[in-house]
Amino acid sequence: MSVQMPSRQSWRERWAGLFFVGPFLLLFAVFLLWPTVSGLWNSFFNTSLAGVDQEFLGLQNWREMFADSAVWSSLKNTLIFTAMSTPPLVVIALVMALLANRTGVLGWLLRFAYFAPFVLPATVVTLIWVWIYEPGFGLVNGLLTAGGFAEIDWLNTENRAMLAVVITTVWWTVGFNFLLYLAALQGIPEQVYEAADIDGASERQKLFRITLPLLRRTTALIAVLQLVASLKIFDQIYLMTNGGPNYATRPIIQYIYQNGFTNYRIGYASAISYMFFAIIVVVAVLQFKLFSGSKEDSA
Amino acid sequence: MTDGSAPSRPRRRAVLGGLLGTGALALTGCSTGRQKARIREWNLFGGGDGARLQQIHQQYVEQHPDVRFEAHTLAWGPPFYTKLAMSAAGGRAPEVATLHLSRLKGFSPTTMLDPIPLDLLNEAGVSESDFLPEIWKRCHVDGVLYAVPLDQHPFVLYYNTEICAKAGLLAADGRLKPVTGVPAFLDMLKAVKETTGKFAASVETTNPWRMWWTLYGQLEGKFFDESGQRLILDDDKALEALSLMAKLSADGLTPRSANYAALVAQFSNGEAGLSFNGEWEVTTYQTAKLPFSMAPFPVLYDVPQFAGDAHTFVLPHQANRNRADTKATVEYIAWMLKNSTEWAVGGHIPAYQPVIKSKEYLSLKPQAEYRSVAPNVLFDPDAWFSGSGAQLQNEAGAAFSGVFSGQTTPKAALAQFKAATQKLLDTPSPV
Amino acid sequence: MRSTWTFPKVATAVGAAILGVIWLIPLLWALSTSLKPEPETTRSPITWLPEAPTADAYRSILEQGDLIRWFVNSSVVSVLVTVLTLLVSVLAAFGFSRTEFPGRRLIFGLVVAGILVPPQVLIVPLFQEMTGLGLVDTYWGIMLPQVVAPVMVFVLKKFFDGISRDYEDAARVDGASRWRIVWSVMVPMSRPILVAVGIFTFIGAWNNFLWPFIVTTDPSMMTIPVGLANVQGSYGLRYAQIMASALLGGLPLLIVYALFQRQVVRGVGDAGIKG
Repeated sequence: MSVQMPSRQSWRERWAGLFFVGPFLLLFAVFLLWPTVSGLWNSFFNTSLAGVDQEFLGLQNWREMFADSAVWSSLKNTLIFTAMSTPPLVVIALVMALLANRTGVLGWLLRFAYFAPFVLPATVVTLIWVWIYEPGFGLVNGLLTAGGFAEIDWLNTENRAMLAVVITTVWWTVGFNFLLYLAALQGIPEQVYEAADIDGASERQKLFRITLPLLRRTTALIAVLQLVASLKIFDQIYLMTNGGPNYATRPIIQYIYQNGFTNYRIGYASAISYMFFAIIVVVAVLQFKLFSGSKEDSA
Repeated sequence: MTDGSAPSRPRRRAVLGGLLGTGALALTGCSTGRQKARIREWNLFGGGDGARLQQIHQQYVEQHPDVRFEAHTLAWGPPFYTKLAMSAAGGRAPEVATLHLSRLKGFSPTTMLDPIPLDLLNEAGVSESDFLPEIWKRCHVDGVLYAVPLDQHPFVLYYNTEICAKAGLLAADGRLKPVTGVPAFLDMLKAVKETTGKFAASVETTNPWRMWWTLYGQLEGKFFDESGQRLILDDDKALEALSLMAKLSADGLTPRSANYAALVAQFSNGEAGLSFNGEWEVTTYQTAKLPFSMAPFPVLYDVPQFAGDAHTFVLPHQANRNRADTKATVEYIAWMLKNSTEWAVGGHIPAYQPVIKSKEYLSLKPQAEYRSVAPNVLFDPDAWFSGSGAQLQNEAGAAFSGVFSGQTTPKAALAQFKAATQKLLDTPSPV
Repeated sequence: MRSTWTFPKVATAVGAAILGVIWLIPLLWALSTSLKPEPETTRSPITWLPEAPTADAYRSILEQGDLIRWFVNSSVVSVLVTVLTLLVSVLAAFGFSRTEFPGRRLIFGLVVAGILVPPQVLIVPLFQEMTGLGLVDTYWGIMLPQVVAPVMVFVLKKFFDGISRDYEDAARVDGASRWRIVWSVMVPMSRPILVAVGIFTFIGAWNNFLWPFIVTTDPSMMTIPVGLANVQGSYGLRYAQIMASALLGGLPLLIVYALFQRQVVRGVGDAGIKG
């Protein structure tokens, strides 16, 4: 990159670069670096939102965190959500892309139907789905009772609520992965299939021998992006179940929010934030390793 | 477009006023340059209460053209309180907000609220003698007045008069025959269930705190010791209350699972002939033209106690509180109290005693039917994590909702609740 | 071969259509609910279509006026976030790609590390910072943290690295300054990717829930997603109104998407392949 640097540089030339990166760096420092550092700092104090005087606590917040069963249960919920939502978000997206690829007239409509939910705000999505799950007069229970089944109070039943959130999430966000797959599919040269046609390959063979293997890298990419996105779950759960029933769906971000803002415990919330941060970094580093490896494979 | 132009006019004026009166404002804090006092009010009233408050506010605005008044309703419970605390921490809080009296101490009044200026309140024609002494005392923290009570709102019994007439539960005067004790209570519920064919009563199973606290209170159960640091819950009494709740749903007298919306819906559409709830849904049922009336919640055990709370007005902490705005705000509070008959129509028992004694209020039906319980309103336990919509109620909701749905036994639910409460006690107080 | 209707093709089309209908049902159900008079919404068994369609719910929502205010807030915030993010990121990416200054590598390394910091873990200290700066309940408070997008700087820098230097050398011979080179060479050459990231920044800013939810406490400063969250919690049965406000809140981006579908679809592809 910096091969053709002239050795003789004026002062202006040397510092001109900072003019370009300056605005970004300023914002980066103020709104990303500083809170990252001050969050760590706060985690050693009993800082309160209420503004009462703070005291240095040393590692007390951290000790409390490791002993706090709610931290672990909300972390577990986060992982359960991730494990439940990631596979369907990959598989259904793939199925959608395979179905919608080369469908001609239907194409526009399908792309609209599959991706439209993604452009809706979380609140709109959850308002609609809370209504759909409503016992008594919601759509899902209306269909269940019409079919002679018993009603399920989806959002208030411990082992159903997370499933309900996952279904909503799949409906909402699968469109993005669908478009990623669609782009990958459209990147496969037509000649590959023409050659297969000449060899007399069936549609089935083309799917399993050509298409799916060529999508492997895309699948890995989508799976990892999805994994990280799912770990950061907050919006839907906060809006649909508020973490209930009996905290069965409360994710770690919500526990941070509750401690920091609802219970005013900024210091303690900072400690939990940092532990979660560490988990995200580990996942991201693994992801990076995976990809720097798989890139060479496909090259 | 209308949105952009309307607020911009006063704002320009405010800027001008600010320029002209900077010196005076800084020194005396009085409103030399400002033409209009500004009041932003935040409240947590949805549903019927919300609609009624809007009407009352409309009257207020019509009678006070000299005030820039702006009211906002935020979602009830934690969302409202979290936002209010965050705005007070952020220094840009509204001039006035509603607050449950049970939340006062936990809201860190010394840092997040501004004291109510007693002189201004008296000038506006409201004084200590206008309230029940017990309530007035509760509005103070460390001897300083931080809240002005608007009402009290106990847990009550709603009954559908048509259904109850059919079930033979009405007396000659058309009122529900009073019942006391568990067996009589169950008989009444069974009779209603037979008539509706579905449920006897609608309850909020997802948050049964009010019901449990009422029953436990009627058993004379205690919660914290004098110091407020130690949990002294009486297991037998707590289990008695929980077992009764479990029995109600097991026998199909109440739904196994119903959130607040369902509680209202089931009473509205006649699936339930009774409803156990706070008294604030009067407007909703009247709008729906439901034939109903209300009564105190039956005394099932030893003493009359009814879970409840009081709505108050508070002044959230502002970094730069303006005396003129504060004066107008206190006048607004006084106006709201004096006109609280209108508020009582929505179901609440006014805190302002001159209204309670007024003919207008006494003639309200069914709103005046349960006013006798006001002295027996049982407030939530006293702790920073307690009060309406606070953590303790959430923990109770989390633990006890399974008792209705049959997912947990009363014993397990109580153990979970006690553990959660102990954990909260062990948590260093942030206020 | 291509135009014949073989069985797999028909099956695919039918399957795709069924899935499409399933995906649209929630929205259609919301639409149907919003057009019912309130009592009909809670009737059981459910009615698929409103028996007496009415626009009352929409009327009362619009009369309340909050939604319009939130719409204005959302528009201001999303447009400015998009413009500022693109501006700041393009300049930074150019700086990292085409200029030398002391500490460039180290600083760029720091920026790349910044990608790892999830905004979610910053809500607590960032809110505190905003109270200190007096930016709670202001447009700047909502926008500025969203403008910091290290991943965009990273992606654009890589893209700029791939642009041959011949173009700018030619421009430089014509006497163009670096500033001119950014706008007359780099930006035009990276138009497709800028459109792609621009569209997604816009969607992201419009739909961002968590940060605006934290930093706005005054309902008149809220954006659509945050404001609508208040409707949800209120007691009472007004499902037609709730659905009407949800649909109105979602409508702007649905229209944007319907109009710019081609660019969005291509944008995701580009972003995916680049990312």
